[in-house]
Amino acid sequence: MGSLFRSEPMCLAQLFLQAGTAYECLSALGERGLVQFRDLNQNVSSFQRKFVGEVKRCEELERILVYLAQEITKADIPLSEGEVSPLAPPLKQVLEMQEQLQKLEVELREVTKNKEKLRKNLLELIEYTHMLRVTRTFVKRNMEFEPTYEEFPSLENECLLDYSYMQRLGAKLGFVSGLIQQGKVEAFERMLWRVCKGYTIVTYAELDESLEDPETGEIIKWYVFLISFWGEQIGQKVKKICDCYHCHVYPYPSTAEERKEIQEGLSTRIQDLYTVLHRTEDYLRQVLCKAAESVSSRAVQVRKMKAIYHTLNMCSFDVTNKCLIAEVWCPEADLHELRRALEEGSRESGAAMPSFLNTISTKETPPTLIRTNRFTEGFQSIVDAYGVGSYREVNPALFTIITFPFLFAVMFGDFGHGFVMFLFALLLVLKEDHPRLTQSQEILRMFFNGRYILLLMGLFSVYTGLIYNDCFSKSVNLFGSGWNVSAMYSAGPASEERSGLALWNASTVRHSRVLQLDPSVPGVFRGPYPFGIDPIWNLATNRLTFLNSFKMKMSVILGITHMTFGVILGIFNHMHFRKKFNIYLVSIPELLFMLCIFGYLIFMIIYKWLAYSAATSREAPSILIDFINMFLFPANEASGLYPGQAYVQRVLLAITVLSVPILFLGKPLFLLWLHHGRGCFGVSRSGYTLVRRDSEEEVSLLGNQDIEEGSNQEARCREVTCEEFNFGEILMTQAIHSIEYCLGCVSNTASYLRLWALSLAHAQLSDVLWAMVMRVGLRVDTTLGVLLLFLVIAVFTVLTVFILLVMEGLSAFLHAIRLHCLLLSSKFSDDNGAM
Amino acid sequence: MRMLSDPCATGTCTAAPASLTCIPLGIPASAMTAHSFALPVIVFTTFWGLIGIAGPWFVPKGPNRGVIITMLVATAVCCYLFWLIAILAQLNPLFGPQLKNETIWYVRFLWE
Repeated sequence: MGSLFRSEPMCLAQLFLQAGTAYECLSALGERGLVQFRDLNQNVSSFQRKFVGEVKRCEELERILVYLAQEITKADIPLSEGEVSPLAPPLKQVLEMQEQLQKLEVELREVTKNKEKLRKNLLELIEYTHMLRVTRTFVKRNMEFEPTYEEFPSLENECLLDYSYMQRLGAKLGFVSGLIQQGKVEAFERMLWRVCKGYTIVTYAELDESLEDPETGEIIKWYVFLISFWGEQIGQKVKKICDCYHCHVYPYPSTAEERKEIQEGLSTRIQDLYTVLHRTEDYLRQVLCKAAESVSSRAVQVRKMKAIYHTLNMCSFDVTNKCLIAEVWCPEADLHELRRALEEGSRESGAAMPSFLNTISTKETPPTLIRTNRFTEGFQSIVDAYGVGSYREVNPALFTIITFPFLFAVMFGDFGHGFVMFLFALLLVLKEDHPRLTQSQEILRMFFNGRYILLLMGLFSVYTGLIYNDCFSKSVNLFGSGWNVSAMYSAGPASEERSGLALWNASTVRHSRVLQLDPSVPGVFRGPYPFGIDPIWNLATNRLTFLNSFKMKMSVILGITHMTFGVILGIFNHMHFRKKFNIYLVSIPELLFMLCIFGYLIFMIIYKWLAYSAATSREAPSILIDFINMFLFPANEASGLYPGQAYVQRVLLAITVLSVPILFLGKPLFLLWLHHGRGCFGVSRSGYTLVRRDSEEEVSLLGNQDIEEGSNQEARCREVTCEEFNFGEILMTQAIHSIEYCLGCVSNTASYLRLWALSLAHAQLSDVLWAMVMRVGLRVDTTLGVLLLFLVIAVFTVLTVFILLVMEGLSAFLHAIRLHCLLLSSKFSDDNGAM
Repeated sequence: MRMLSDPCATGTCTAAPASLTCIPLGIPASAMTAHSFALPVIVFTTFWGLIGIAGPWFVPKGPNRGVIITMLVATAVCCYLFWLIAILAQLNPLFGPQLKNETIWYVRFLWE
């Protein structure tokens, strides 16, 4: 069997690395991905480990690289992702790289800061220009009113007339001008009026262009205002209010010449600034472009370096402090590779003494390694999502490759939909190496990762669709239906009652809306349709009656087969871990329990299919009632399915009832007998085993799982001399397992009925979609019908894809996973493993 | 379907037109023959038996041999079981399909 059947045998190895060569050796090991390191310094906090300084350095480099990457993406320069991931840099290069990166960062920060300053400056100048331009129009207006200085008194209150008039004539006219944000204009004006009591005139106009606010960077509307006031104190109040409202105030030129001068000066300065800014931006871009080439590969290198240092932190120094010792788990098949990698690393760093390894034997449970290729990876990840298998346990993923798509297909069973799904998956598989697919985001990534699963699901759905005879809810008649309508017609003109059979003639058919074919009439039923469900059922009104019966029985048969298979896989586990007694005391009673009840149910189903036909249909007993009566022992023993049924059922029931206590008590009693009668095995106990046993006990008690795993019991047996044989605990765990198994048998069998339920739902949805959408388009006869059909097909396709394929597909996928979890949880595996 | 029922409404249903050899959909006139049970069983048992039992011998040696053999056997078992259930369920039907009278005319006209 391939390595997918069980996880690989692993061994514990000690690596002795020379201090100088440790880095290179680990780099070589890391590239190959062979081993899993064990942390030997668990009780040391991460700040006290040996290589903390190096790790900090790596993190600093990472920070710089992240900053660089951010700046690069902000400037819209594409980051080049290299094809080959580079090796970790040798120690000599690290310092150089660090200097380079730090210099780059400093430069970048400086240039960016300068650029910001320049931009701010530029904005101010632009605002000033605008302000000057707009206030010119104010002043132009005001110029007309200039002679009416004396009109101002009319604005005043009468009582204050004398006093303030004198004062005003002596005061100077001052101007404050600037820009203010649009939202604050009203409040600003009101505040000015309240504070200055009309000693100011505010003129403002909206600026046509929106400028950028230098603080927040948003583009907003500005208003240019001009405040004319008299007096120093007013002037100060006005200035304070301007500050308060965050106005940008600019000096107002008093004469027209001054204004012109300032404007010219401003325009030259703005030109200069533009040039400088352009140059700066170009330079920045250049720097970023150059950095972009190597940023991603540098990032990978730094990450690898950090990983190496983390791993080095897990090693311990030996007594002489010259050599690092690392303990690794390595698959036995790869020991040779490991040695070669160590040699290569030592060679590269030019060490005098090569590093070597040494395997040590241990009682600990190694981690579970299962090698997958890209095809099996998807299925393995589905199984692992439930729980990682224990070391050297049978791996259910091997069988899940087929059973999962098959159970999905039973629930999805439609030829057309399955074919579309198959085509989609084929597209994903063939375009595997397309870069856009490998880097896509969440949802498409999930579909991409499961492309092989989708492929198989589509294939099996095609097959089950053919058997269900369902293609976009229509049936295909390939071999000719087994039901013959003509035979229902009687030969003579009047309807006859020939030996109790009602036959038809033309008038009966015309007058009755529905008529049922009777298989007991000779010639009506001509034999079963050779492949799948007969197409005539698609045209029948009592289609669901037949299909429900068929699908329910099918679900039960498939379910019981699946569960029995699970128990048989458990037998493989017991044989591997050399626990023969488990087979006799646990697996056989389990099998007997399941088969005597549910196997018998299958037998009844098949017997009824074979033995009863239309002629005897009136006496055909209901299987469900019979099955229930098996347990109830009703007073009147009605004639059963076959002669001698009562006797057979009693025997089966007896076997079942007997197997339950064996399941409960067999294993604990046997182990007790071993403990007392056989004595211990005299195997020395090592420190590892003690630690392991405690944790395993906890895990097996916490998780409500099967204890058909090896090491627990084995450890217990070996602990016999030194440790108390905890009979109560074994009994309890076995009792829990047995109850879970027995009750699980019944409930899981019923749970498999979801195969029927979902396939019914799918068929009905499909039917409704056809009847409501497609038929509407196909019924219209006129030329308008062609256009309508076009539209209808579009709607039909969209709805098919989204509702039937995506929604139903996901639903069936979920339920198929649920069924597999049922299998895994209670039948055979003990998921204690670590990856 | 409505169009097809019109000639039948005149009451000449019993005269199955002999000119129906040009039946659309290409269903042969041998649709009249009965379906045997033994033949499909033999055919499909051989087919899936070949895949499930003989197939594993032809899988080339390589790292994936075990996986491919398991896949073949599992596929054969699952698919054969599924087909077997389908045909056994229809072997001795206890009741027949209930058809609308239009469907009866159509089926009679087209399939027989």
